[in-house]
Amino acid sequence: MAEHSVSKMDPDSHLLLEQPLLRLPHELLKKNLKSAQRAIEPVNKNITSAIQSSTKQNPAETLASLDATLQKAQNLKRKLEALHTEEQALHSQQKARIQHLQTLHEIPSLGDVAYDRWAHVRLDRLLVDYLLRQGYTQSAKELAEENKLGDLVDVGVFEEAGRIEQALRKGEVKDALTWCGENKNALKKINSELELELRLQQFIELARSGDIDKLVDAIVHARKHLAGDQSSKFGLQAGGLMAYPPDTFVEPYQTLYSQERYPHLADLFVQTHHNLFSLPPTPLLHIALSAGLSALKTPACHSQHALSVTANTGAPVCPICSTELNELAKNVPYAHHTTSSMEDDPVVLPNGRVFGRERLQLLNEKLGTKKGWYRDPTKLGENDVEWEEGSIRKVFIS
Amino acid sequence: MEGIIAAHEQLEKRGNLAKTIQDVQKTIDLLQNARDSVANDPDSAALTMAKLKQPVKQSFDKLDDDLKDVNKGLNQYSKALDKKFKKNALPTASTKPLAEQPDLINRAIVMHLLREGKFEVANTLVSQLNERARSGQDDGMEDRRPRPISNVGDAIKSWVQELAYPEAWEAEGGMEMGSPTGRERGWLQEKFTEMYHILDSLRNQHDLGPAIEWAKSHSRELEQRGSNLEFELGRLKFVELFTSEDVMSDDPWEGPTRALEYARTVFPNFSARYIRETSNLLGSLAFSANLEQSPYEAMFFNQSAWEEASASFTREFCGLLGLSEKSPLYTAVTAGGIALPVLEKVERVMAQTRGQWTSVNELPVETPLPTGFRFHSIFVCPVSKEQGTDANPPMMLPCGHALAKESLDAHARGKPRMKCPYCPVECAPKEAKRLFI
Repeated sequence: MAEHSVSKMDPDSHLLLEQPLLRLPHELLKKNLKSAQRAIEPVNKNITSAIQSSTKQNPAETLASLDATLQKAQNLKRKLEALHTEEQALHSQQKARIQHLQTLHEIPSLGDVAYDRWAHVRLDRLLVDYLLRQGYTQSAKELAEENKLGDLVDVGVFEEAGRIEQALRKGEVKDALTWCGENKNALKKINSELELELRLQQFIELARSGDIDKLVDAIVHARKHLAGDQSSKFGLQAGGLMAYPPDTFVEPYQTLYSQERYPHLADLFVQTHHNLFSLPPTPLLHIALSAGLSALKTPACHSQHALSVTANTGAPVCPICSTELNELAKNVPYAHHTTSSMEDDPVVLPNGRVFGRERLQLLNEKLGTKKGWYRDPTKLGENDVEWEEGSIRKVFIS
Repeated sequence: MEGIIAAHEQLEKRGNLAKTIQDVQKTIDLLQNARDSVANDPDSAALTMAKLKQPVKQSFDKLDDDLKDVNKGLNQYSKALDKKFKKNALPTASTKPLAEQPDLINRAIVMHLLREGKFEVANTLVSQLNERARSGQDDGMEDRRPRPISNVGDAIKSWVQELAYPEAWEAEGGMEMGSPTGRERGWLQEKFTEMYHILDSLRNQHDLGPAIEWAKSHSRELEQRGSNLEFELGRLKFVELFTSEDVMSDDPWEGPTRALEYARTVFPNFSARYIRETSNLLGSLAFSANLEQSPYEAMFFNQSAWEEASASFTREFCGLLGLSEKSPLYTAVTAGGIALPVLEKVERVMAQTRGQWTSVNELPVETPLPTGFRFHSIFVCPVSKEQGTDANPPMMLPCGHALAKESLDAHARGKPRMKCPYCPVECAPKEAKRLFI
């Protein structure tokens, strides 16, 4: 009974990890729509005012202005068509993802082969997500391609973000500012200070030079970009910074002048970016893996009495004991159990090792131990002792 | 899910820019017409332009409406998503140990890729890791992700090199697979290339040669593991020789004769424990003319024999490397997917009640997994309900009842004799015996 309830599929709770899968294309679609709006607005204004002013023009001028407006309308159409293509790609991506999750809903139990297949695809997806986040874009691309993940992973989004992040780490803020411009409204909604931080950085670079012309530029820059009403902090910091040379030891100005600000900005950008597109801040692989390591881990996995992984236990090798994960799992908690789970009819050998009677018999048969005698199959070669059947004791474990 | 599917269909059908583009085209036509009439009749320019004002305004209003439609579709889809995904926060509290050990995760991924046979991807990743490790040492600017250990670069290097240079493998004198690129490949990759090569012959071409060769060269280790692989392969070979028909010869005894010859050279090497099986096989020779109706029918016409041999080959091959058959990364991530809802709930409740998790070493709740995910026996002390650990191991009293050491000590309270908590038998506490589960 218990087993049945454990392996029953509950797709809704299973979708915990899959939320970003559907959220991201949706956010991109919203962004797409915003771009369309932004494209239409100026053209609308422009054309309307052109027509308005045409009443005072002579026919030739009217003709010229009409040609100009026509040109603008054509451009708008081209822009919208590009956005529409993008939109269609996103729609089909969405469709593939919905399909992927729908498959899960059609799987009756966790023991089903179909679940195995689905879980494999999910693992590949999580791996691609992880590799992209760590900046191993090429590996991620190859993995996605080899497993035909196509619409299920977001190579493009991460690649773009990675490019901007890397530029920031190298000390270039231009790309990041362009990105802020593209997402102005959304950033305002989440009250992000990313753009102000970037503008402040530009100011710091102007101030760093100490050159009088540059300092004037810096003031103009600060008035233009840092004196907004979102936060007075940046204007104040900029003002203070002017009073101190770049080699100051006075805080916060020493920190502001520090080159360490670039990695900080890069981190801030990544954080803002993921927040904006509903991407979780930690790689999904971390979340799934740490839960899995804990759920599988037992005190035996890191016991000093643990058997060697190549020991002959007649049972499959535990994934936590396996070389790949053993060290990684060292610091995660082990699973909680309220009842013992032992093989049927457990017996204990004189050396204290417990086996299911059936397995012990089977292994000894394979080992060719003579009838009526037993060896510890996990301790071969060390001190090959054989025991008589009588010295095998039944043990009661409840 | 239905809600999302429906909303998405709506979105595809109506929530897109196709209509907007049409309407822009209409605006263009409008302007084009006006331009044409101004060009044809310059005098009417003022009038045409005055007439144009209203329709252009309307058409831009129309564009706005079109966008609103798209927006509406998106909002509906948004709602469907929110309905499906109610909980927002993912449990992230426990991911710290992982985030601090990127090199171990990377290693696990590379090994996973290798065992899945994705050698190209693994190669790319290893070289990218190498590159990162190198540039990380040259200048600190490249990678500034938090690094708790100062010499992570070195740590990465050591295992990357271990994977990249096959000394360990060569020392073992393994088979040379002849890589076409001639470039050095990691020993693990060598191993898995070998495994896939053997598996391919075995499963797809029904060629036992490579597998038998491998089993022979690892005969001693396999024997140590109590593995039957070598014998199983030998038996399969015997059956294959027996039933194979040589087109060139019409001697009906051709197959059985060759099988007998094979048996003569190979079977004596098998250990004594196969004696019954080998004599069985040889007995079949007597029935060679009419195998289908002989008692040996099951042995010879086993359809799944090749699949079974492939599976046990994979198991032994990975076992000798100290690896589990299935990718541990796969097993762990899948188990994680199953356990996650429980952990998510715990974290949520903990946050609400500001509760503290008392034991850092153990999860606070049970995370039930299907049987396939159980790899160890679990001992839980019937008295204290704690799991057996190195510090608090299970002990067996002379009556055969087992309990944890701490429970035993508490129960005995230092006295020389005690009664078993579960039966009337009395014993001295020092007679209790440590168990290894």
